[in-house]
Formats: sequence, structure tokens, C-alpha cells
Amino acid sequence: MKRKMICSMLVMSMTAALAAGCGSGADTGGAAEPSQETAESAADSGDKVVLDVINYHVGTDYAAEYYEYLFSAFQETEEGKNVEFHFEEIPTTDAFNQKIKLLISSGDLPDIVLNGGNNITAMAAESGKVADLTPYFDADPEWKSTFDEASLAFNTVDGKIYGVPVSKEISYIYYNKTLFEEAGLEAPETAYETWEDFFAACDTLLEHGITPVSMDTGDLGWLSNLWYSALIGTEGETGNEFMNTMYPTDYNTPEVEAATETLQTMLSTYTTADAIGGKYDTMATHFFNGEVAMLPNGPWMIPDIGNTEKAPEGFYDQVGIMLLPEYGMEMVPTPGDMVGATEPEKIEAAVAFLKFETSAENQLKGLEMAGLQPVAAEIDIPASLTESDPLMADVLEIQSKARWTYGQNQAYWYQNVIDTFSVQLPELAYGNIDAQQFCTLLSEAAQKN
Amino acid sequence: MSNKNKKKWIVLFTLPCVALFCLVYAAPILMVLYTSFCEYTVSTSPVLKGLQNFAEIFRDTDFRVSVVNTLKWVLIQSTFHVTLGLVMALILRRKPKGWKIVRTAYMIPNIIPTAATGVMFTLLLNPTFGVLKPVYEALGLDTRYIVNLFGNSRYAFWTVTATWVFYAGFNTIIFLAEMGAVDKEIYEAAVVDGATPWQLDRYITIPMMKNIFGTCVTLASVAMVSQFDIIYMTTKGGPGNATLNLPTYLYKIVTLENNYGKANAVGVVQIALGLTLVILIQRLFRQKRERKEG
Amino acid sequence: MRTDSKFVRRVLGAPKYLFLLFFVLISVGPMVWAFLSSFKTYAEINSSALSLPGSFNLKNYADAFRYAPIGKYFLNSIEIVGLSVAVTVCFVAMCAYVTARFRFALKPLLILLISASLMLPAQAISQPLFAIFKELHLYDTKLGLIIVYSAMGIPMSFFVMTSYYQTISTALEESAYIDGATFLQTFVYIILPLAKPGLVTIAMLQFINTWNEFYFALMLTSGDTARTVPIALNYYMGTFANNYSALFAAVVVTVLPTILVFILLQRQVMESLTAGAVKG
Repeated sequence: MKRKMICSMLVMSMTAALAAGCGSGADTGGAAEPSQETAESAADSGDKVVLDVINYHVGTDYAAEYYEYLFSAFQETEEGKNVEFHFEEIPTTDAFNQKIKLLISSGDLPDIVLNGGNNITAMAAESGKVADLTPYFDADPEWKSTFDEASLAFNTVDGKIYGVPVSKEISYIYYNKTLFEEAGLEAPETAYETWEDFFAACDTLLEHGITPVSMDTGDLGWLSNLWYSALIGTEGETGNEFMNTMYPTDYNTPEVEAATETLQTMLSTYTTADAIGGKYDTMATHFFNGEVAMLPNGPWMIPDIGNTEKAPEGFYDQVGIMLLPEYGMEMVPTPGDMVGATEPEKIEAAVAFLKFETSAENQLKGLEMAGLQPVAAEIDIPASLTESDPLMADVLEIQSKARWTYGQNQAYWYQNVIDTFSVQLPELAYGNIDAQQFCTLLSEAAQKN
Repeated sequence: MSNKNKKKWIVLFTLPCVALFCLVYAAPILMVLYTSFCEYTVSTSPVLKGLQNFAEIFRDTDFRVSVVNTLKWVLIQSTFHVTLGLVMALILRRKPKGWKIVRTAYMIPNIIPTAATGVMFTLLLNPTFGVLKPVYEALGLDTRYIVNLFGNSRYAFWTVTATWVFYAGFNTIIFLAEMGAVDKEIYEAAVVDGATPWQLDRYITIPMMKNIFGTCVTLASVAMVSQFDIIYMTTKGGPGNATLNLPTYLYKIVTLENNYGKANAVGVVQIALGLTLVILIQRLFRQKRERKEG
Repeated sequence: MRTDSKFVRRVLGAPKYLFLLFFVLISVGPMVWAFLSSFKTYAEINSSALSLPGSFNLKNYADAFRYAPIGKYFLNSIEIVGLSVAVTVCFVAMCAYVTARFRFALKPLLILLISASLMLPAQAISQPLFAIFKELHLYDTKLGLIIVYSAMGIPMSFFVMTSYYQTISTALEESAYIDGATFLQTFVYIILPLAKPGLVTIAMLQFINTWNEFYFALMLTSGDTARTVPIALNYYMGTFANNYSALFAAVVVTVLPTILVFILLQRQVMESLTAGAVKG
């Protein structure tokens, strides 16, 4: 009997130790948390408004410093002095979007929903878990007037505005002046008049042993996508309209098929061998190292061009910019930040933050710190920028010269179409499928939605 | 021990596991089963729809390809990979020179985070500056035509397979533990009878491993049915659908189509496939009969 | 016969070492490569896979700590993974024992359930788990992750352990019962010591399986309290701004201590090989 008891006690103590182990895990968890806990309880009792924010501009994100500044600067303003932020950081937009979708589905959205793209706006609006911001825009006509029609329309679902666009996304071509000189080419002032001229230049570069363009298929094929969008978007009115349409479902049009054929040639002839299967960073490095003459991308790349850890010393001065052939430029409104708060005072505070984020002053700050293009058309660019960052000044100037503006697939197409685009590109490049089959695959993917 | 007493201990000993299981898995399993018959997306609640999701996936070529790829990987892993683990364990069991280094080294790849492994393989196999360039140069081949191992659908499947198939450290330690449990007297008796080391392995060790080999094959198959991270990090199931398997296919439906109902239908297929494999493998390696309690 | 086998042994001996060497190289290679890469600059890492770093300064290590709360997350990982290993090993030690030794009515169902959970896709179960965890206040706690990881680890450990128990001869238990020992006494004093190598093995498996878990760590936490190393590694993968150098620095910093843990644990497994007879 006694023995049995000892034994039972042994098992019990084992279980108890286990439970204690788990318990202590939870306890230390609690102990490490006081800053958040107390912040929240203070807010509940006092007059602080606590806003939950999930921020993906963290770590090595290109806009991390800017957002860090933005949140702390807001707390120094009149509207923000009573606001306390409670952050959840989620590095990478990929992870961010996964979590946000979970939260949309479960109804636990943060008070301020930064927008990581991925058609989040429509999903959040449909779920009814984000605030309709139309009344706030209507109540503040001056604020509303800083946004152009297209940007607001982009963030409108069923006639209601849900997102506050914070910037515009544009892209154009960066080219390496030195390599152009080596090939005896003179780069055009603003853009190649036609794609024929452009490809003639590519051929000349090739003859001099220089790889003409950067492309990729990994990471959703960002660079290839920019060429593709340009090819379609400058192909007459029809092509341009196609590239300015949200969620197209039929890709077997003459313009898209023609563009696909050209893209196939570019992938097999005009770019590096590692473009297929390769990712942006590798391609950017080829460009920085002077191995490739042209790379399409947006202004957020400028800080990297001047960063001597990434590009050689003096590289910044070798880089010029031009629009895509036929004076094309990708320009899309960005999916705007949303408000997930439900209590009136939190909504109020969240809207105040979004107004602060889109103030003229902060749009400039965003431009300087992260290359974010102002969404407001009427912001005066200070002369000092021209001196400190001539490339950025060029970017601001060249925009007005675009004859065609169009969207790009990551902004306008269904998610699974974008994915199909990138996983089928290698097949296209190796000739395993032809342009028509490629377009059919895109159409099929789109129709699954 | 009385029967009643026995029952008590069975209940007490299985209870913790069962309780933990119910907490974590009970609701999700039911939810997956139920919603696979529903129309259910990110922004809408589940509505019963019948077999529509299943009909949709069974019509999809990508689905069929992903089932085939999954089975191919199961086959490769449960044969080559597990055998490799066994061979390694048989060698290490005899403690050849440097065995301590080998046994530790062989576990290292399992601890390196997949995020890093993915980046590493992508860079190492890059056709313009990866490991193949010096090889081509040494062989006097034209470096412009270095094979693009991840980018070309002809090689992608095998390239992705190679990122894990050689790393059988997992199985090695399982086999080693099991070999440690083999009665040493049997070996001693055999050695006295003049058995060679190879004969010891062939007639004693390997037959004794039958049981655990079955377990390893089960685990390897199951791991392949749910293999995801490294595929996603390197090829995302591409090029085309060359490296698409069930989890990658499911992941795409969740994140790209936002269609939870359809994704869960794939989940149900995945579970069914896995269970079938587990049952088949258990049959094949018929577990030792349980001791009948007296 | 004798000379024959000696000859065979010699011939087999050389390939054996080549075989071992090959696997050591492909196993250690990645870690060495990661270590060298942790000193490279962005340009070096993205333009040459095989060159040595230009200089061996610690800038990337400083960056690794600057961009992500790697230290804190590492400690979290240790605590969460460590406790989940303990829970899994204890629970499975008991559950697998009765399953290996006895027949009971619900056993097939139990095995079926355990097998099914092995295949459950994470994406499919995150939704209901999230809701349950919010309800039980387990969201964003270490305990929450410990529970999930322990449950995740049970199936695999269960299979290995059941098989291991079956290898242990029942003769010892029988004689213990004849001597009047109770069930519990037999389990604690006779079975557990014999099962130690098996238990260490499942501890290692559980460690490997949970150490790099990313998805649940992301979905079931919201702050620094309970986040783990795999999340920290994502901090270096920003949009248009990957910092692989810092990534590899972080990998080196977090992997080296775990290799040490492994060396210690493996010593345990190998002891069983030398420990001699498991009397039957």
C-alpha cells in the first residue's frame, strides 16, 4: 500500500511539475508584458486613446524609418497627444497579408489597418469590418481635395471610401550612362519614341557584350511585370485601357498576346541567364555592378543606388532615368490605409492619424525618407531636394512628360493571376508554352475568382 | 493486476495526450471537414454548398499534378531517404573513426531555419554566379549555357528534392536509438559462432529494424504529404506546376484565391491521402503483436 | 571465409569513409557558407556565391541585432520549445506505453486521430485555433504556443515511442509483476530507465520540428512576449530591401547554441549504444 502511494505521488508530482512548467511559461509571459498591460489599463481609466496598429514597415523595410518617425511625430501633435499606439510588428508584406486576412475573417482587425496591397481593401470592405470613411472626407473638403479622383476611386468599394491613399506608385527605367556610352549609344532625353527604337538600342548593347535589361520571375516577377505592363499599356488605346482596368479576366486579346511574345523574346535574348527563377535583389545587384544596362523600378530604389554597401562608390552619378518606350509610365494609386476601430473616439483618433500621414509636410517627408511619391498633386517640391538628390528631382520632373500612364499587374490583377504570371514565365522563356497558351493560363486563373 | 485496475491506468496514461489533442485539434478537424462542403471565403461565413468544392478541385489540372508530385515525393522519401538514414546508422553504430563528428554534423542541416536554407540554395544554384560556374569552367563547357536548376521545369523537381533528400539525420538518430535497444547477447552469441560484421547486420540488426523502419517510412511519407516551407521558399510550386504539391496548392488557394472552403476540400484530400498511406504502410510492416495482458 | 571477409571489409572500408566524408561536407557546408556569408556585404552576397567576404567585420551582426529583437526572441524560443519538448516527452512516454502494451477498445480510434492530425494543413486550422485561443486568453502567450507545439509534436513522437517500447522485452515487467510491483512502480522504475534513449530521441525530434515553426508563431502571437526566432528572421526580408547578410548573421547567432544542445543530447543517445545489454 505504502509503495503504491509513493508511486502515485511520484506521478502526481510529475504532472504537477509539468503544470508548473507550463504555468511558469505563462507567468513569465505575463511578467514581460507590463508595459502593454499598464498602458492599456491607464488608457481605460484615463483620457488616453489606445490605438492598435499592425505595422509591416519594420526591420529592413524601405519605409521603416519613415513610419517610425510618423508614429512618434503624431503623438506630439494636438490631435495625437492623447493617443497611445499599441503595435504589433509583422515583418514582410507576405506575412502581414496572411495575418490581416485571418483578422478580417475573425473580425479582430486593428484600429489602424495599414494596407499591404493584395486586394485587402475589397475584402475588408466586403466583410464590413472596416469603417466607411466617406463622412470624414465629406466633412473636410480641404483634405479631400488633396487627393485626385483616381486615387479615391481606387479606394472606393460600392460607393464608399474605405482607404486613405498615402502615396502614388510610379515606375520608369533606370539606365547606366557608362554602359550606354560604351555601346556608343545616346540615351534619349525622356524616352524612346517607339519600342523598335528601344529594341534597336538593346541590339546595339548586345553587340557590345552588354546585357540590355533586368528581368526576373521570382518574387512574383516584379521587373518582368513592369516591362509587360509597359508593353501592353502603350499598345494603343485598347492596350492602355486594359492596363488601367481592375481585375481583367480575358487575357487572350491581341495586345496582351503580342506583349507576351515580346516578353518571351526579352527573357530569352535580352536579359541575364539567372533572370529565370531569379529574384529582385540579385537583379538589382547586377545593375549596381554595371552588368546590365536598364532596370525598370520606382523611386524607392534611389536610396539603394546611393548606398555604397549595395552599389559601388560613384554609381549614383552613372545612373539616368527615362520613361518606358512611347513615353509610358506606370502610375497607380496605392491601396490606402483603413480604419478597423469600432468605438467612435478610436475612429476619430485613427482618422486624425491618417490625416496627419497625408499632410503636405509628411508627404514630403515620405518622399525624402522612403521615396514615396506624394499622392497630392499640388505639393511644392523644395529646391534643396534638387541639390541633395538630383535623381529624385528628375523623377518628379519626368512624370509630367508621360503620354501613357497605366497600372501594373500587382496592383490591378487578381492575386492568383499574378502568381500564374510568375510561375509560368520560365515555361514561356524556355518555349515550353507559347504566348497564346500563356495568356490562356492567365485567363483561366482569373476566372477562378 | 485486475482488469479494472488496468483500465484505470490506460485511461490515466492516455488522458493527458487526448486532452491536449482535443484542445488543439478537435474543433479544427471538425471545422475543416464541415467547411470543405461550404462556400466560405475570407470575407464571408460558411454556407453549406455540397460537393462543389471537391468537383472544382478534381477538375483542376494543377490539383492532379500536385497529387502526383506529392506521391512521387512520398515514394522517394520513403525509400531512398529512409534507407540512407538506416545505412548511416549502420555505419555509425560501429563507431568508425570520426563518428562523433559525423553524427553531430549530420544533424546540423535540420536546425538551420528554412528561410535561410531557401535563400542559400537559390544563391548557390544561381546560373550566373553559383557553384556550377566553376564546374563548367573546369570542364571547359560554355558558361553561357549553365543549367538553370530552379528556373527550368525540366530540373526543378529534382533540384527541390535534392534540398532535403540527402539530409536523413532525423532517421539516423531514430535508428541509432533503436539499435541501442537490441540485446547485446545476441551479437555476442553470433560472434562466438563466427559471424562476420556484415552477417551481424544482415541477419540480426536489419531484421530487428523492421518495426522502426515501418515507423520511419510512415513519418517520411507523412512529412512529404505536408512538405511546404522549402518549396515555397525556392520555387513556389513552379516553374509551371513542376514542383506543386498538395500543401503548396492549398496555400495558393488560401492566400491567392481567398477561398477557404475550396482550400479545406484540398485539406480533406490531403488528410485522406495521408491516412491511406499510414494504413497501407502499417499493413506492409505489420507491427509486432501487442502483448496480451494477463 | 575469414580472409574473404577481411578482404571484403578492406574494400568496403574506403568507400565507407568517402560516404561519411560526403555527408559531413554537405551537412557542414551550408553552415560554413552561412557563416562566411554573414560577413559579406549586400553586393558580395548577391553577386557571387563562392567568393570569400572582403573583410571580416561584425557590422552585419550589429545590424542583425539592430533590425530585429533577435535576443529576446531567442530566449522565447528556448523557453517555448524547451517546455513543449518536456510536455511532449512526458505525455507521449505515458500514452505510447499503454498503446504499445495493451489492447483497448478505443485504441484504433486513438491511433487514427493521431495519424490524421499529422496531415492537418496549418492554414486550415489556424482560423478555429485563433478563435479558441482568443476565448481562452491563450492568444499571444507563451503557454498558447507551448500547447500548440506540444500537440503538433505528439503524433510523430507517439509513433517513434510506440515502436521503441515494442522493442523492449516484456520479460522484465512480467517478473516485476510476479514480485508484486504495481503498474506504476513498474513503469517508473523499470520501463522509463530502459526507454531513456527513445525518450531522448523524441525530445530531439520535437526540438527540430518546433524550432523553425513560423506559421503558428505568426498567427497566434501579436507581440514580443511570445514571438520566436523564425519571426525575427523575417525582419531581414523587407520589401525591396532584403538584408541577407544580417539574416545569415542572425542564423549563425541562433544556430550555434542549438548545435551545442544537440551535441549534449546526442551524447545521451549514443551512451545507450555503449551502455551494454538491455537484459531481456
